[in-house]
Amino acid sequence: MVPISLTKIFEQYPDRRYIMFGGKGGLGKTTFSAATAYYLAKKGKRVLVFSVDPQASLSDIFKRDIFGKGPTEIMPNLYAQEIDADRRVKEYQQEIRQKILDMYGMDKIPEEIESYIQAAAAEPAMEESAIFDEVVDIVVKGGYDYYIYDLVPLGHALYYLSMASVYDEWIDKITNLRQQMREYDQVAAVMRRDKEIDEDAILNELLYIKERINKSSGILTDKEKTAFFFVITAEQMIITDTIKAAELFAKFDVPLSGYVVNRVLPETLKQQEIPEYLKNRLVMQEKYLKIIDETFKDDILAYVPEMDRDVTGLEMIEKLATSMFGDM
Amino acid sequence: MGDEEKQKAGFFQAIKEFIYGVAAHDSARFALKSRASMEHLFILITMGDMLGVPILPPYYSLRLLPYVVPQISTWKRRMLREKDLTDALA
Repeated sequence: MVPISLTKIFEQYPDRRYIMFGGKGGLGKTTFSAATAYYLAKKGKRVLVFSVDPQASLSDIFKRDIFGKGPTEIMPNLYAQEIDADRRVKEYQQEIRQKILDMYGMDKIPEEIESYIQAAAAEPAMEESAIFDEVVDIVVKGGYDYYIYDLVPLGHALYYLSMASVYDEWIDKITNLRQQMREYDQVAAVMRRDKEIDEDAILNELLYIKERINKSSGILTDKEKTAFFFVITAEQMIITDTIKAAELFAKFDVPLSGYVVNRVLPETLKQQEIPEYLKNRLVMQEKYLKIIDETFKDDILAYVPEMDRDVTGLEMIEKLATSMFGDM
Repeated sequence: MGDEEKQKAGFFQAIKEFIYGVAAHDSARFALKSRASMEHLFILITMGDMLGVPILPPYYSLRLLPYVVPQISTWKRRMLREKDLTDALA
């Protein structure tokens, strides 16, 4: 096994302030996010670990109810946050309603508009978008040395990434159309010798949306400031899926920093009296670890052993962080 | 302003309007008409959901909703009406 080199990545690239762990569901993304946050906080860095998953589990791992409570201090320098997407959507809807009432001096939202506002919030993409938007707020606000994204499982993460580029293209097209409309406005105004035409509020709004989207996709693809790690385990399906995902992520220009292998059964077990079942698991593990070694080579940054207990609470997180980063 | 001057100003205004009417009114009308079509296209792209054509992710289309509230009902009428011969004459 290679020596622990995850620490080196953090020491070599101190500018990589946005840390992400990706991988299939249940492999330990949240655990690694928490352990990395712990390690960096112990080093004296101010760290915020936040979840972009509507089914977040940071509360469970830290054994604290932090859902929807904003950045919560877990220990000195370590803050954790779980975004309440539902509430954000509701507040946002209310904001839109208020804006309509103010703009037109209405005292009630027209029925057809109201039903649209409600239908839009029921869209499945709404929650993701709301989180996406809140992440921009978090990052723009600043105040931390490191931001650790506890990502959603692979499929969603890809959606999350592609959303940025799809949004971006759409907004570009719409903005162009809007600009063209403005030219027609100007032509008509000149011919009718009207005075200055009103500023196009919609165009400004579109430019604002574009800026927000660029901000977050900019971070996801910033090679200087972002480190993206894949979590894998020694299993055939996981390896195959990760290779595919890595190719897709590369297409979106996500800067891949390396792989962390989780749930490695200790080799020392071999010398002990163990049941057939475990022996078989060990043989299987050996086979797939070899494949992992050949496939990902120097990009493997750490092998993390299977723990004897659930990783929840700071004590277990510390133990796991030690096996990821070495003694602190 | 004396009466004579007023008359003169009125005369020039009339000429100005006459020239605009002859030379530019049609073009201006055409520009505004194109503009209106684009407005409807724009609303379709951003608010397509209302007709069951989701195009822009709803989170951001909501941001634009307040600005198009007055146009929504004419837009819906235009998008949903059946096309017939008289459309060509419009």
